[in-house]
Amino acid sequence: MTLLEARALSYAYPGGITALDGLDLTIARGRRLAILGPNGAGKTTLLLHLNGTLNPSAGRVLLDGTATGHSRAALAAWRRRVGLVLQDADDQLFAASVFEDVSFGPLNLGLSDAQATERIDQALAALGIADLAERPPHLLSFGQKKRVAIAGAVAMRPEILLLDEPTAGLDHHGALHLLAALERLAAEGTTLVFTSHDVDLAYGFADEIALFDQGRVLAQGPAATILADAALLKAARLAPPLALSIGLKARAAGLLTESDPLPRGKAEILALVDRLIAGISSSSSGQSAATRDHSREIV
Amino acid sequence: MSPIDRAAHLNRWRHRSLAEKAVLALGMLALAVILPPFPTALVVVVVMVPATLAGARVPLKVWLGCAAAPLGFLLMGTMPILLRLDATGLGPAPGGPALAAGLAARAIAALSCLLFLALTTPACDLIGGLRRLGLPAEIAELALLIYRFLFLLGDTALAMDAAQAARLGHVGLGRRLRSLGLLIATLLPRALERARRLEIGLAARGWDGEMRVLSRRAALSPSALALVLALEAATASAGIWLS
Repeated sequence: MTLLEARALSYAYPGGITALDGLDLTIARGRRLAILGPNGAGKTTLLLHLNGTLNPSAGRVLLDGTATGHSRAALAAWRRRVGLVLQDADDQLFAASVFEDVSFGPLNLGLSDAQATERIDQALAALGIADLAERPPHLLSFGQKKRVAIAGAVAMRPEILLLDEPTAGLDHHGALHLLAALERLAAEGTTLVFTSHDVDLAYGFADEIALFDQGRVLAQGPAATILADAALLKAARLAPPLALSIGLKARAAGLLTESDPLPRGKAEILALVDRLIAGISSSSSGQSAATRDHSREIV
Repeated sequence: MSPIDRAAHLNRWRHRSLAEKAVLALGMLALAVILPPFPTALVVVVVMVPATLAGARVPLKVWLGCAAAPLGFLLMGTMPILLRLDATGLGPAPGGPALAAGLAARAIAALSCLLFLALTTPACDLIGGLRRLGLPAEIAELALLIYRFLFLLGDTALAMDAAQAARLGHVGLGRRLRSLGLLIATLLPRALERARRLEIGLAARGWDGEMRVLSRRAALSPSALALVLALEAATASAGIWLS
């Protein structure tokens, strides 16, 4: 079921730089959609349209099939359902402590202090940062700030969460923590939309991909279908994900049958390699046994 | 990140109520100012320094670091009281030592009170307290935002400064000044750009012009407050009795 939809969206920044050029995008409920494109393609501009921050020069954004408006009341209703997390957490954290910062959204929803506290505690727990509640933002690491920024949006319990480059600049550990937290949110039914230029991340985490370049969505569909299309990826100035390339090669060589799932990340690639090693050693030991039998026969 | 701020956030009495800490610090400060310095100021120092170091467990190094500058000023300030320069030359001033000792004791006592408050209570708690005492919400919000973004602006300035130095922008006074001018000129548009993005972020969370946040305030402990008041009464009576 389509929850949020962009139709023929166009936008040019003052100065005439075209950021969106007749863009179409559909966001279905419960999906994890990656908007994949190179740097400077206009991904952030697109997200800013999806929560009504920017007003398109042409085209429409539909929420539940109804055209959205930019009046004060319409925007408030829109943002209640569609949360946005900016790329730089420092742009978002303003309060004196993590708890206070996360409380900002729930209080703007008009919740009572008790209800707000409950949501804040849940959001902090979901992001794994309950122990940081009393810290001021400037005493947090980059990864922690990022999770606090997400908690600030999550505490409002949006149906859709838009994340601009959620793992950009995070180290491996920080990225894993963040993805695990997003996994929990998705499991609870939040629709996730994130921008990225990282094909491996998108392939490992998203179930749907919108390939984006030059202000347009070039193609949208299941992750494995879109990312297997080398020509399409090239048009978007991207390369296929490593796991998918290895998987397709293994399938072509007969190591994986058509019904075997393709590897999506490191763990599955390693499992495939293990199978390969096991195959090589068993076939080589089998061969040496045969040779031995053969030599015995000769003797 | 300033060591004062770090200590204020990470000390053991961070979560004691603001009222207890403020009554202790400001009450003792008032006693040190009003009552004769001997022995009141000494008693105040004997109470406040251990309260900061042993009670709130603020590291001695941080305390000394913060006290160094004011103590330096104090040393300079007592010199003209201790010494006298006249036609006969430089000599001790009549009654100078007693006056200087009183001044120094009082100043050190006042410093120990203010450092106690600054090192145990984050700036945001103090602003929150002022707001409850009637400071207009707009001013309190502005103060909090400035406080928050001061650190970000400082970090940006430091990074730009290092980048300039790496490209030999600090060789020679002329170039140093020019680099500084460029840095300041770049900071302003950056700050404005950040403010614009902050507004987008706040609007995404339903900002309607008022910054409401939920503060978890430490509950006032009546027994702790009673202890503070008793301590102050004892200091005051000792000060009056013994002087």
